[in-house]
Amino acid sequence: MSPRFAPGDRVRVAEREVAGHVRTPLYIRGKPGVIERICGAFRNPEQLAYGEWDGPAVPLYRVRFQLGDVWPSAEATRDTLDVEIYEHWLSSEPFEHRLESKPA
Amino acid sequence: MTHDVGGEPSDEAIPRTQHPFMPWELRVDALMWLLTDPARPGGPRMTVDELRRGIESLPADDYRELGYYEKWLLSMIAILAERGIVDPEALAGRAEAIAHERDHAHP
Amino acid sequence: MTHHDLGHRDFEALEQAFREALIGRGVLTDADVNERAELMYSRTPALGARVVARAWFDPAFKARLLADGSAAVRELGIEVGSLRLVVVADEEKVHNLIVCTLCSCYPRMLLGIPPDWYKSIAYRSRAVREPRSVLVEFGLTLPDDVAVRVHDSTADMRYLVLPLRPAGTDELDEAACAALVSRDAMIGVALPRAPG
Repeated sequence: MSPRFAPGDRVRVAEREVAGHVRTPLYIRGKPGVIERICGAFRNPEQLAYGEWDGPAVPLYRVRFQLGDVWPSAEATRDTLDVEIYEHWLSSEPFEHRLESKPA
Repeated sequence: MTHDVGGEPSDEAIPRTQHPFMPWELRVDALMWLLTDPARPGGPRMTVDELRRGIESLPADDYRELGYYEKWLLSMIAILAERGIVDPEALAGRAEAIAHERDHAHP
Repeated sequence: MTHHDLGHRDFEALEQAFREALIGRGVLTDADVNERAELMYSRTPALGARVVARAWFDPAFKARLLADGSAAVRELGIEVGSLRLVVVADEEKVHNLIVCTLCSCYPRMLLGIPPDWYKSIAYRSRAVREPRSVLVEFGLTLPDDVAVRVHDSTADMRYLVLPLRPAGTDELDEAACAALVSRDAMIGVALPRAPG
């Protein structure tokens, strides 16, 4: 499976709610970030946790978030948070969306 | 979910005491690696992901109050019980007998 | 079947019962368990400190370490199994901090068993939200012009911080430099010690 995203791509984490084992933390869902690197392809923990050990490998990325984008009350604006996210939790975030959300 | 704690509001100071590891805890650690090692004869009996799922499935009170390796042990037993590899009731009975022997042993 | 059905909270006895059952089924032996426990017990932060010191002394090794942490560590004869290591380098204006909010993922084959505080809910919840206040609690106050870079170890990678080499270490050899590097410095809650 070839990776959908490349380093530098703007992405957004899905807002999805999932019951059961998942490795996308609640606090990062729905947040915008930038692909920092492709880590490789790994089997999906949402399957591995339930006896499904032979599923396909999924691209895994490190995504970099500005702390201020994750926590509205964050004080230091240059701090960042890197989180490993599997591809099926990411969608492309068009550049225009970041322009729209910035104050005039 | 109880385990997904990133960013939860917390004024708690980070506890800094380090407890010395008991031998049984180091054995639990070893058992986990042996059970999840794909290179072992017969292949892995569980995955690290299943261990995590088992821990995450603990009642919230247990998740917060039990020790680290206590949770590992309970999770491993529950997961292997799903596969029919162990019988938790039999284990509980055997554990009680072991504890009884230990506590009533004459020096 | 819930965990409460076990009805038994003597974990030391439960571990023995569990292990005996697995031995009875031929899954493993006591020798396997002892060997593995001894292996983990032999992994200490001194291993990580060797890697850090080598990176300080050898820029080409440092570059390889940042590109592929596991491969570079194996160059030093350290066998790390299936560890997928990402080494994150501190810079003059960047300070790295490692956490696993979901459980306690940690480069165990390189640093050994993680400390209790790393596994605590307080650390896991606060490190991603207020990293600077966490660092202050560990005695580390960073200037405003230094960015904090937090890494949440949510999936298959494991992280090691490569701290900056302390000032005043030009006369020290690699082993003496390694002795300055604590486990906490490789997690990012401390800086390497100053010499002397």
